[in-house]
This record gives sequence, C-alpha cells and structure tokens, in this order.
Amino acid sequence: MDTFPRICFRAILQHALPLISTHGFTRKTLSLAVMQLPNPHSQPLSETAITALFGNGDDARRTLINGWLKGGLEDMQHGKTTGGTMQHILKRRLRWNEPVLEHLPEAFALLVAPQQTLPRLDIRPAISHAASVADEACYLTSDIPEGTSWYVRRAVIASIYTAAELHQITSPQTSEAFLDELLEKSESVRRVVAESSLFAEYVGKSWGSLIKSRGIF
Amino acid sequence: MLRFSRSLSSLARPSSAYLRSTPDFHSATTLTPNELSLEQRHTLDAALRVDQAGEIAANYIYAGQMAVLGRDKAAGPLIQEMWNQEKVHLAVMNKLHLQHRIRPTLLLEAAKVAGFGLGAVTALMGKEAAMACTEAVETVIGEHYDDQLRDLASFPTHDPSIQLLKDVIRELRDDELEHLDTAVVNNAQRAPGHALLSTVVGAGCRVAIELCKRI
Repeated sequence: MDTFPRICFRAILQHALPLISTHGFTRKTLSLAVMQLPNPHSQPLSETAITALFGNGDDARRTLINGWLKGGLEDMQHGKTTGGTMQHILKRRLRWNEPVLEHLPEAFALLVAPQQTLPRLDIRPAISHAASVADEACYLTSDIPEGTSWYVRRAVIASIYTAAELHQITSPQTSEAFLDELLEKSESVRRVVAESSLFAEYVGKSWGSLIKSRGIF
Repeated sequence: MLRFSRSLSSLARPSSAYLRSTPDFHSATTLTPNELSLEQRHTLDAALRVDQAGEIAANYIYAGQMAVLGRDKAAGPLIQEMWNQEKVHLAVMNKLHLQHRIRPTLLLEAAKVAGFGLGAVTALMGKEAAMACTEAVETVIGEHYDDQLRDLASFPTHDPSIQLLKDVIRELRDDELEHLDTAVVNNAQRAPGHALLSTVVGAGCRVAIELCKRI
C-alpha cells in the first residue's frame, strides 16, 4: 500500500513537470509545484521538505529529471493511439523534449556527472534513457523479433533516437527530418540483410540437395 | 506404438485465448499487472524467459529427431505430433512475452543448436534413445512448471492476466507430462544406457534453466 510521503512525492513530481520549461530542472521547480496542486499550498515547499522528499542537493534535481524522462515514456503511449508507427512514436518522444530543450544539456550532464570519485563519468543513465525509449517504442509498435534480433532491434532504435535527440539540441527544426532519414537508412539495411540471409539460405539448400543427390549421406 | 491424445478440446484450453485469429482486447491477454513488487516482477520475468527458451529448445530437439527418424513409419508421425504441439506452445509463449514485456534470453541461439544436436544425436542412437531423451527432458520440464506454479501462487489473485498465466502454465505442464507418458509407453526405458542418458540430459536441462533465468 502507498505511504503518505510516497503519495506526496508522486503528486508534487507530477505537478512539477509543466514548470520545468520556465524554471528548469531545479529544486525551485519542485518547491513551486506544491502551489499547483489541486489543494494548493500558499507558500513554496521549504528546502528541508524538498530534501526529505526528493534528496539532498543535486539528488533532488536528478529525481526531477528521471520523473520527467518517465513522463516522456508515458506520453509515447498516446502515440500508439494516434499513429502507431515507429516514426510517429519516436517523433512524439522528440516533441516531449521541445518545451524544455534549453534545459536538456544541463540535465543530461547532471545525470552522467560522477556522484563519487570514480568512475569519472557514469554513462549508465544515458544508456538507460536510450534503452527505455527504444524498448517502449518497440513494445508500442508490437515489434516482436525473436532471439538476438530483440536486442539488435532495440540497439538500433536506441542509437537512432540518441542521434536524433542530440541533433535536436543543436538544430531543433531539422530533428524530425533527421530522424526520418535515419529510420529510412536503417530500414534499407534491414531489407538488405534479410534478402541476403534469404539468398544464403537458398544457396545452402541448393548445396544440400546437390550433396544428397550425389548419395554422399 | 500408442499415440497420445489431448485431454481437452482445443477451444476449452486456456492457451486458446492467445491463439485466436481475430484480435482479442481482453485485459487478461493484453495487459500486464501493474501492482507486482520488484521481486515478483523479476520472478515473472525469469519464469517466462526460461519458458520461451525451453519451448524453443523443445522445438529444435524434435526437429533434430525428425531429421533422423522422420522416415520411420512408427516414430516419425509420433515425433511430428509432439513437435506440432510444441509449436503451439512456442506461439503462446511469444504472445506472453509481448504481453508481459519480457526480455528473451541471450542464449536462444545456443538453445537452438543444443536442442537440435541433442535430438539428432539421441535419434541416431535409436528410437528408444530418442524416447528416453524426450522422457528425461519432459520430466525436468514438468517439475520446472510445478515450481513456477508454486512461485506464482503468491501473486495477486484478482488480476485476470495472472490467473490466465497460471492456467496456461498448468496446461503446458500437463501437455509435457503427456509427452513423458508417451515416451515411456514407447519403450524409452529400453534405451541403451537409459539411466546414464537420463541423468546427463536431465542435468543439462537443469543447468540450462538456471542459465536462462539469469542471462
């Protein structure tokens, strides 16, 4: 069963998301979120309360960033009902970035910044973000390859999305066209690999039949 | 040789919910429960990952046996019928994977190679050895599905998807035990070195189960 602090945590985080575009991924955003609640507070949340609910210093900011990333994944599900293709769903995820684009470089830097002496850079959050987007996109498009293809497909989508997101930070107007181009190239490569595999299979079967007809086995 | 028969008609089987040609938007077959604890989610994840790998391996074992014994008038049709049932099991497992968003094991290709190799080698040893291989594998799989049903007993009972999952696993377990009975009736225990063969195959299956849970 949910505890009261947990309920507060989720409610404040949810109402902080729309404030990020104006106040950034900051403790101030979390502090002001209580004034947006259905029963709003008259004063922003104190630093002590933010620390108690969300953590010390930059930990609270990381919690906010992770909450925002999770919101992006939930928003992708709406893409399934209004289009449903991989292209459509990934574009929807890019659009989730648009209101907070100017704050994103700092947010990503904060996620990979070292929290201890070593490692100097922790890229796991970045990989986790790309992998989550790819997994969600594949699930929503019912992309169900079997075996190692499951991993390959997700790795390809994660790479494409990461490239498109980085492109979006520097050139937001051309990000969707860039994404389209990458998806098209990936699809061409997939077709070539599939056709080559099919051809190799036919050649293999032909050789098998030839060998059988010689009575070797 | 005796042929096995299914105890339930196709329509009455719980797995038929996943095999309908028209889309079924019922939550039991499309949604995964949200209220599972982290430990329960890991248990579900590992269980379905192993089950899919197991069904793929079973398919390839029968493929290997058919490659050698396919032309045998007695063994061929029997192995083909069991293989057909495993194909249905695999189709159901794939649907379960999509529904519950399960990561497949990285060892799937190894499972295919090992399964085909095991099936072909035991079939080359003779019909009885092929049946002994089936007996050993289905014994381990039957116990494994029983363990899973015990693990799932602690899951929320009100969720329709979990209830359906339990029914499906029970059905698959019963099918595998039917294969075991079929193998015994068809002289599995007359295979040369039956005790050693069963021990080696059984141990290999247990190791594979533990690896697929984790990798």
